[in-house]
Amino acid sequence: MSIPDYMQCAEDHQTVLVVVQPVGIVPEDEFFRIYKRITSVAQVSIRDSQRNLYIRYRHHYLPENNEWGDFQTHRKVVGLISVTTCGSAKEWPQTSDRFHCQKDVFGATLYDSRLLVFGLQGEIAEQQRTDVAFYPSYDDCPDVEKRVEDFVESIFIVLESKRLDRATDKSGDKIPLLCVPFEKKDFVGLDTDSRHYKKRCQGRMRKHVGDLCLQAGMLQDALVHYHMAVELLRSVNDFLWLGAALEGLCSASVIFHYPGGTAGKASGREPSLAHGQGQAADAGKRHRPGAQEVLIDPGALTANGISADTSSEIGRAKNCLGPEDIIEKYKEAISYYGKYKNAGVIELEACVKAVRVLAIQKRAMEASEFLQNAVYINLGQLSEEEKIQRYSILSELYHLIGFHRKSAFFKRVAAMQCVAPTIPEPGWRACYKLLLETLSGYSLCLDPKDFSKGSHRGWAAVQVRLLHELVYASRRMGNPGLSVRHLSFLLQTMLDLLSDQEKKEVTQSLENYTSKCPGGMEVLTLPDGLKLPPVPLSKLPIVRSVKLLDLPVSLRPHKQKGLLENNMSSKSPFIYSPIIMHTRGEERTKKIEFRWVQGDVCEVQLMVYNPMPFELRVEHMGLLTSGVEFEALPAALSLPAESGLYPVTLVGVPRTAGNINISGYHTSVFGVTSDCLLDGLPSVRTSGCVVEVIPSLPRLQLSTSLPRSAHPLRPSKEELSSSVSVQLFNGETQQLTITLENIGSEDLETLEVTSKTCNTKEKLFGEFLSWDLEEAVSQLPLKPGQSVTLTVNVKVRLDFSGGENLLQDLNDDGISVTGLPISSPLRQVLKPRAETKPLGSESSKTDYNHVKTLEAVMTFKYSGGAGKMEGYYRDLSLGVHVDVEPSVFFTRVSTLPATRTRQCHLLLDVFNSTEHELMVSANNNQDLVLHPSECQRMAIQVAKFDFHTLPQPDQEAVRYTNPKLLEEERLHAQASMISSTLGITWNIISFDGEASVEGVLNQLVLEHLQLAPLQWDVVVNGKPCDCDIIADCKVGDAVPLEVKLTNRSKNAVGPFALTVVPFQDYQNGVQNYDLQDAVTFIGSNTFYIDMVKPTENSACMGALLFLYTGDFYLNIKFQDDSAGQGKELPPSWFGLPSVHIKALEAPIEAGA
Amino acid sequence: MAVCIAVIAKENYPLYIRSVPVQNELKFHYTVHTSLDVVEEKISAVGKAMADQRELYLGLLYPTEDYKVYGYVTNSKVKFVIVADSSNTSLRDNEIRSMFRKLHNSFTDVMCNPFYNPGDTIQSKAFDSMVSAMMVQAS
Repeated sequence: MSIPDYMQCAEDHQTVLVVVQPVGIVPEDEFFRIYKRITSVAQVSIRDSQRNLYIRYRHHYLPENNEWGDFQTHRKVVGLISVTTCGSAKEWPQTSDRFHCQKDVFGATLYDSRLLVFGLQGEIAEQQRTDVAFYPSYDDCPDVEKRVEDFVESIFIVLESKRLDRATDKSGDKIPLLCVPFEKKDFVGLDTDSRHYKKRCQGRMRKHVGDLCLQAGMLQDALVHYHMAVELLRSVNDFLWLGAALEGLCSASVIFHYPGGTAGKASGREPSLAHGQGQAADAGKRHRPGAQEVLIDPGALTANGISADTSSEIGRAKNCLGPEDIIEKYKEAISYYGKYKNAGVIELEACVKAVRVLAIQKRAMEASEFLQNAVYINLGQLSEEEKIQRYSILSELYHLIGFHRKSAFFKRVAAMQCVAPTIPEPGWRACYKLLLETLSGYSLCLDPKDFSKGSHRGWAAVQVRLLHELVYASRRMGNPGLSVRHLSFLLQTMLDLLSDQEKKEVTQSLENYTSKCPGGMEVLTLPDGLKLPPVPLSKLPIVRSVKLLDLPVSLRPHKQKGLLENNMSSKSPFIYSPIIMHTRGEERTKKIEFRWVQGDVCEVQLMVYNPMPFELRVEHMGLLTSGVEFEALPAALSLPAESGLYPVTLVGVPRTAGNINISGYHTSVFGVTSDCLLDGLPSVRTSGCVVEVIPSLPRLQLSTSLPRSAHPLRPSKEELSSSVSVQLFNGETQQLTITLENIGSEDLETLEVTSKTCNTKEKLFGEFLSWDLEEAVSQLPLKPGQSVTLTVNVKVRLDFSGGENLLQDLNDDGISVTGLPISSPLRQVLKPRAETKPLGSESSKTDYNHVKTLEAVMTFKYSGGAGKMEGYYRDLSLGVHVDVEPSVFFTRVSTLPATRTRQCHLLLDVFNSTEHELMVSANNNQDLVLHPSECQRMAIQVAKFDFHTLPQPDQEAVRYTNPKLLEEERLHAQASMISSTLGITWNIISFDGEASVEGVLNQLVLEHLQLAPLQWDVVVNGKPCDCDIIADCKVGDAVPLEVKLTNRSKNAVGPFALTVVPFQDYQNGVQNYDLQDAVTFIGSNTFYIDMVKPTENSACMGALLFLYTGDFYLNIKFQDDSAGQGKELPPSWFGLPSVHIKALEAPIEAGA
Repeated sequence: MAVCIAVIAKENYPLYIRSVPVQNELKFHYTVHTSLDVVEEKISAVGKAMADQRELYLGLLYPTEDYKVYGYVTNSKVKFVIVADSSNTSLRDNEIRSMFRKLHNSFTDVMCNPFYNPGDTIQSKAFDSMVSAMMVQAS
């Protein structure tokens, strides 16, 4: 007996063994179907007794083992059921012969046998036999169970008779010596008459009877017999049989104590067997209720003594062993078995049985000792298969007692045994299966999610080894998909524990495997139903943070102001609440401020690093999103070994509008594609992953005729999409052509252009940027690919004068600006004269030569398509940066009254601050050539300005604006009027520009340039008269003189008294006022003008009579009495022209 | 003298493991790992009896063909396992006990280090040298 039955358990001692075997050719599945039906009859209740018979079925049993049947009767084959197919009556005799042959194999021990014949149709040639049953087919055999039951009953009858036969043997009769196969030769020539021999025979027979009683369901009798056998055998030192008797005692006690059975969950057992056992266990429970409560008193045995009389009723359970004793006795039995080398199988089986009992008793420590012992039992040369079986069962038993690690260890050993090099055909599949079963013992779960929490904790060395073995086994199994999955798992979970060399090796082999079978994200299901979850390689590379990026400035969508308010969705009814709803989890789902646009490339920045000691190539790295149709544009990257944080930008295009959630990223490393979800990566920092995608908008590209600006605008508060820079002389105008091309896919429907000047420190005159949008707008809507141009005039007019010291520098000729009109003829000859005075020092020169900058931002607001419907638009901003070089400027300005009261001379000191010769020209004036750094004075005669003609700001605006601002505005309007009237331009070779006087005009000058509100007109001889007009008249004729006052001021003025004083100017500084003889007044020489109301006029007439020829001047003066009135008004209001009259000889006189 | 000394955390993962024949380290990993079954069993068995005054020394966990495995559990459920050569019959129980005591003291020192995070693998040099002193010199 060499092959142990590891499935044995203590209650198997009460079963009878029936072998079910096919005879001839029986299809395997059919046989097992019948076998299953037969084994369902595992327990038979005997009709006229309270006893049960338990049957153990085997479809395969070594006759060799059968020889131990006397030693332990449950090893004896007592029944044989043969299953055969017999197609025709002709085959029957042959079949019958075969059946008899088979019967002979177990012949010596068989109590009874049955033959089930299937397939025989029609008449049965032989007469009806009880041991043969005929069935037409495997499907049509309704009474198989019934027949088996009958069969079992017949076995029981034989068993019972044998029991009674043996039990009632009188001690006087010759008792045969029962022995095990290897003993037979030992007893040759032994004295059979010795007392010792007799006792041995007696003891062995008692034990045998005990076995029979147990099988026949007479537990109490069995116990008694066993006790007696123990006593008898102990006295003769028949250790093997003593062991058997003790084991029998234990078995009986176990059956008594644990009617539920000790086989446990029957996890590894044959299903058919387990089924039978389960039924038996159930039946046991039914029939022996309350067995546990029975008081056990082993001591009662000794009190009773050894009695042959088994018929005497012994108290129930009196002879039964207690739980502690069972183990003691098992130990003892095993130690006796251990004395015999040939009883190794018996010993091993006893160990297994004891362990099962201990497992029920939950005494793991002692069980482990039994198992430890079992490990060392040497059964001689074992085949590889037996070794595997042995290790598996050890593993199972360790598992049973809760030693999961030990169980895993043995299972792993078994797995390794499956593929031992000595085996010609290694069972990689079995090895793999067994290895998978060890995972729990090494606290390894193949779901990577369990490892995402914190650092790895476990027996890394052992786990790594196991994973390597799994990888290898799956590869040899021919399933590279599994290898890839396990290797990915190894890399993902054990990365920190691998050495650099190991990392290299693992990744190399991973690459090898993936070349055959790329790794993916699908769940692998093994044939036995185990599911291998996907392993995303989130550590290759490690992602530290995920940040969604806003669109570039020029592509950012903006919401129309009015619509924004409607869109304000408030979660809370309060406008403001100090309680901030903030939870950590919300951060991830937090919505981001900015928006993405459908159809535009959007970016997400990841900070990644490579933990590997070599360069890591990541391919197809893309984004995983939900909520919106998203076209991810995968990127490939190569990270250097042990890189630091490395920014990676992943891009994609949302194809629909809505809220998009960036849920993770996708990578392909070493041929393994993984979808890493951010939810599973707590170490990743992110500032929110949900962003709104708005419907598509058109996209404009801006190009300009001017070069792009190298330097950004100084106040870079707002980001600009592009900027241009240009260098201009002050006053120069440059045309800037802007081309806007629609490069998007939507029609451009609206376009608005605004501009804003950035630095307001410099005083700027005139409009810096001006354009006409009409033409561009007329081309809308702009189809994709079309473009529109816009011409912008860039005009710079800055004030470069502004230094007080310069004013003083040039203020050398002492021309004072006085309010009084100087109507000296001297002024008529005043000419622009060269101012050759060089500037003082070099430093001051640079002071005035510095370049000023002017910056403005042009904003193009455009919209179209679906985005426009939702109220979104886009901004395109163009920074215009102008470096303004000073051209000419006016260092000083002053006025000189002209000869006419309605005109005056404007004196301008023009300074050429350029390094070129330039020419300055003004309206109705000659050109003036200025050398570099030359300053010249220039006089321009201008008509005084009537500022009243300027448009008045409307009342509505006046009411709301600051009066100071209003004043400034007024001044500005006046200045620009003056400037445009003057029209001063300069010209340097090819450049030309305007020069503005706006900045240098001060209040005083303005006042002089302004027409007085009181207009005085002097009319001589019916002709209006002014300083430089000479009125002719004839001597002796009365010359009518009319003085007319027009009041344009806001208040009524007057009354005034005017005196006309005639005089003669001798042109040598002498003025002769003594002209009573030459001129007489007709009427009064004094004019009275009454009060003149605003916008009204008044005139008074007088007449003069010249008595001699000559040049006369009339000085019209205000008399003192009106001065009171006059003082209140500025003196310039009273600018009356002096009248020059030439009295000519009358023709009559000439004639006389 | 010991051939392998291991410190195992409360959660049953190794904090420290060192063995003398370095080439077959994995074998000791398996030995110590499987011994934890016995340790756990012993703790639970003792724990039921008297939780407070239990003996820290667990005694021989199990003998294998070549080695004897001894166990020791601190009150914080940190386990020490010493694997000794079976052939070394001169090793008395008392010596094993004193080795465990030394180990425990040294471990306490490690835990007192403010820069040591409980639960991390032990990298203390002092502990290492103490363990080396207890090991059989591989020669």
